[in-house]
Amino acid sequence: MSYIKELCRMVSGFHVPGSGDTDPGVPELRFSPKIILYPETVEEVSSVMGFASQSGIRVFPFAGASKLFLGNPVIAPVVALSLGRLRRMLFHEPSDMVSTVECGMEVREFQKAVGRENQLFPVDPPCLASGATVGGLVSTNLCGPMSTRYGTCRELILGAKAVRADGEVINLGGKVVKNVAGYDIPKLMTGSLGTLCVLVEATFRLYPHQPCSTTLVLGFHNHVSCSRAARAVLAADIVPTCFEILDERLSSEFEVASGAKRSILLRFDSFEEAVAEQIKQVRDITSEQTSSFVKMNDERSCKLWDSAREFPFSRKAAFSSKLALPITASIEFLSDIESNSALSGVEVRCLVRPARGVALVSVVAPDEEAVAASVFLQDLVDSLRGRIMFSGIRPELVGRVKAWGDFGESLTLMKGIKKRFDPADILHGEKIFPVG
Amino acid sequence: MDSQAAEITTRSKSRIASELVRILGPGAVISAEDELVAYESDGLTGYRVKPLFVVLPSSTEDVSRVVALCNREKVPFVPRGAGTGLSGGALPSREGIVISLSKMNRILDVDIPNRVVVAEPGVVNISVTEAVSAEGFYYAPDPSSQIVCTIGGNVAENSGGVHCLKYGVTTNHVLGVEMVLPDGDIVTIGGPTPESFGYDLLSLVVGSEGLLGIVTKVFLRIIKKPQMVKTLLASFERIEDAGASVSAIISSGVIPAGMEIMDNLSINAVESTVGAGYPTDAGAILLVELDGPGAEVSVQVPAVSRILRENGAVEIKLAADESERQLFWKGRKSAFAAMGKISPGYYVQDGVIPRSSLARVLGEIGELSKRYGLRVANVFHAGDGNLHPLVLYDPGVEGESEKAEELSGEILRACVDAGGSITGEHGVGFDKKRFLPLMFNEQEIDTMNLVRCAFDEEGLCNPGKVFPTPRTCVEPGMHKHGSETSPAKEMGELF
Ligand SMILES: Cc1cc2nc3c(=O)[nH]c(=O)nc-3n(C[C@H](O)[C@H](O)[C@H](O)COP(=O)(O)OP(=O)(O)OC[C@H]3O[C@@H](n4cnc5c(N)ncnc54)[C@H](O)[C@@H]3O)c2cc1C
Repeated sequence: MSYIKELCRMVSGFHVPGSGDTDPGVPELRFSPKIILYPETVEEVSSVMGFASQSGIRVFPFAGASKLFLGNPVIAPVVALSLGRLRRMLFHEPSDMVSTVECGMEVREFQKAVGRENQLFPVDPPCLASGATVGGLVSTNLCGPMSTRYGTCRELILGAKAVRADGEVINLGGKVVKNVAGYDIPKLMTGSLGTLCVLVEATFRLYPHQPCSTTLVLGFHNHVSCSRAARAVLAADIVPTCFEILDERLSSEFEVASGAKRSILLRFDSFEEAVAEQIKQVRDITSEQTSSFVKMNDERSCKLWDSAREFPFSRKAAFSSKLALPITASIEFLSDIESNSALSGVEVRCLVRPARGVALVSVVAPDEEAVAASVFLQDLVDSLRGRIMFSGIRPELVGRVKAWGDFGESLTLMKGIKKRFDPADILHGEKIFPVG
Repeated sequence: MDSQAAEITTRSKSRIASELVRILGPGAVISAEDELVAYESDGLTGYRVKPLFVVLPSSTEDVSRVVALCNREKVPFVPRGAGTGLSGGALPSREGIVISLSKMNRILDVDIPNRVVVAEPGVVNISVTEAVSAEGFYYAPDPSSQIVCTIGGNVAENSGGVHCLKYGVTTNHVLGVEMVLPDGDIVTIGGPTPESFGYDLLSLVVGSEGLLGIVTKVFLRIIKKPQMVKTLLASFERIEDAGASVSAIISSGVIPAGMEIMDNLSINAVESTVGAGYPTDAGAILLVELDGPGAEVSVQVPAVSRILRENGAVEIKLAADESERQLFWKGRKSAFAAMGKISPGYYVQDGVIPRSSLARVLGEIGELSKRYGLRVANVFHAGDGNLHPLVLYDPGVEGESEKAEELSGEILRACVDAGGSITGEHGVGFDKKRFLPLMFNEQEIDTMNLVRCAFDEEGLCNPGKVFPTPRTCVEPGMHKHGSETSPAKEMGELF
């Protein structure tokens, strides 16, 4: 019997590209699977995985397909497994501030649902508007400006239901905010790019919605005054929800502080009095450095945070990268790259999230210059004891710009975990571990 | 054991002893029976096992060499911090070696601008805050045992404390570790940066209960002390009202730094020892600590006071100054020890429930207490639903300790039935491994074993803990592969 026919019988919906059947709206996958499966239940996912593992068929799980540019390219899986039809909210207990959702649910939809109870799922990853799903969010562990206050979804995930590569359905973690029973496998799922299990449900801790929100945009004439102000903000008795530094290009493109060499974006969410007091403090401690100081809580601020959230993923770029740095190094990072000749002639954009030690970079350049820029960034990160990942790498550069920097001594353990969870590697291990 | 086997054991024992002395020097190897007694148990003294030896390494390299020796000789080993654990996690293995990290107690680096402290595992929890306090920083996880317990133990147990409601538990404050793997290899996972990439191995190591290797260095995140801290002490006639206040406060949008409830029995035990100023006639007290920017806290104090009153608080006291605030917390942190005043024996339980089930589960605990005829004092981290029922018993009365243990188990069942967990911070260890199947089925426990096997194929590192039944590490291959027909060939049938 045909493997494909067998797989089709296991699920509620499927699409065979090129066969003339109706395409239920497949997103662009960056590879051509033989078949796309649309299970509607966890049991269907389990049957597919059980069968695939017994038959050695490679499966690529996805939902919104909004972040397929992360990690190394996948090597032609036979089956693309869409989790898009598993999209229900299964549980939300407002007084516990905990909710369980299926992984195909869009993050925005989830946020709207908990918002009706005046609660917040405080993660704002890129691609939010283009259909980012909860499953994709967990498996990429991407985050946005709000990570300054709330961290990433690693900090919020309490439990997970997943289908192992061999088809077993497992429920790990729990539905309570504190729990140390057994290894924290739900956290292991965050950032694993779906290479260990197929995540089908996740339980998260929620936060209360804050009554008042105000955004500040501070402009600076030079790097020195900006980094002085950034340090003062970090040291102050304030709790910003978002705190970002933009380089000159982004300052102008985000239309926040045109003419500024640098700008700082801040957002405060709290009671009205507390927001006002924190704004006053920021004004006091930065007044000697700033060239402009703008307060906003209207449409403009929404647009601004949308731009900050979506950066650095742009189709025009040769690649984007995220750097994990010590906090002080992240503040100085902008001047480190600006003053370096290795990047002259290259169009670089950079946003720094100092409280997280994160720098996001987008490089627009011809091939050779882009490769040189990637080598420069890698060397710089090594010298700063940081880590780097590259994404959205232009197809011509794949192989010359590697998705991951050095995993260091963790690599052997990571491979050990992968081998235990998915010994036949049916879940595209090459996304993390380069082939060869 | 037959005499030949005994002789072999004796011979290998002396060979191992001399190897250990060669690696560490004689002063760092304990083998005298009377000295080993101190290491027979952790804070859960009901279980006792005498180890073969206890060793006191001074460096990562020492630990690595000792572990490599254990690996060669197939000798089990158990890491140990201060031994304050309450789940038997540091209980020695029979015929095994205890590796005490107490000599590795230096703070290696304090980097205020980057908000990182690098500490050896034997550093006592409170010392981290002491090292950065003058600069206006602190280390947030604050177990009640913080003046004794070690960072290594905290990492292994993913310890919490009274201020974890807002700031999270140990896993939210560890950026990286250096560890000696069970084969003796030294690895660093994570580091001084707040973010990292790749599989989140750190989340496995934090909370691994000493089963994945020995942590020899920890990168800790320190945070700024809040501008303002205010502590409210509210008293209630009924503990259920204190519980309802907790949910109401959080639903209002306020996340206090900590919210702790103590019932009448605990209040009186504490008052007879510490004299914290708690009202001894109250049915329960709720401590609420609010911290953050001054303007925020100033708004929160009256808002929370109003909620407390609406939920039946009969008296609300705002700590007048720092010393009264410290006294309120001293009372809470001394609660376990104070039980010694009102009962010759007590059993500390650690379960978690959803906040919304607080009143129901407390009622069930009351029923269980009546049914078993044993008093149960309730002290708990109410904000995150982490209960610590203290089952009081008299070890001098025959069968009473068994009854207390049984009652404790029933409490855990009630927690799990309410959708909670068998442990919020003390770990599974030796004591609760039999309860793990209440939460997880065989496949789920097998999945946890996959993690263990990726780190410790031989199962020599702290064996006999966490897993309810011994599990081996068969070679990866749980998947069968279709051998006779390749999928590529079969696909032709469809197209
Ligand atoms: C009075 C009292 C109050 C307490 N209050 C709290 C509380 O509020 N919150 C809380 O969470 N806990 C609390 N505890 C429990 C206990 O203090 C914590 O679990 C603590 O983290 C244990 O630290 P320790 O150094 O004593 O570790 P130990 O008891 O020595 O060991 C605990 C576990 O850690 C492992 N371990 C130790 N060091 C290492 C290392 N370097 N590498 C790998 N594994 C290691 C051991 O093998 C063992 O499994 C309390 C205990 C007492 C007695």
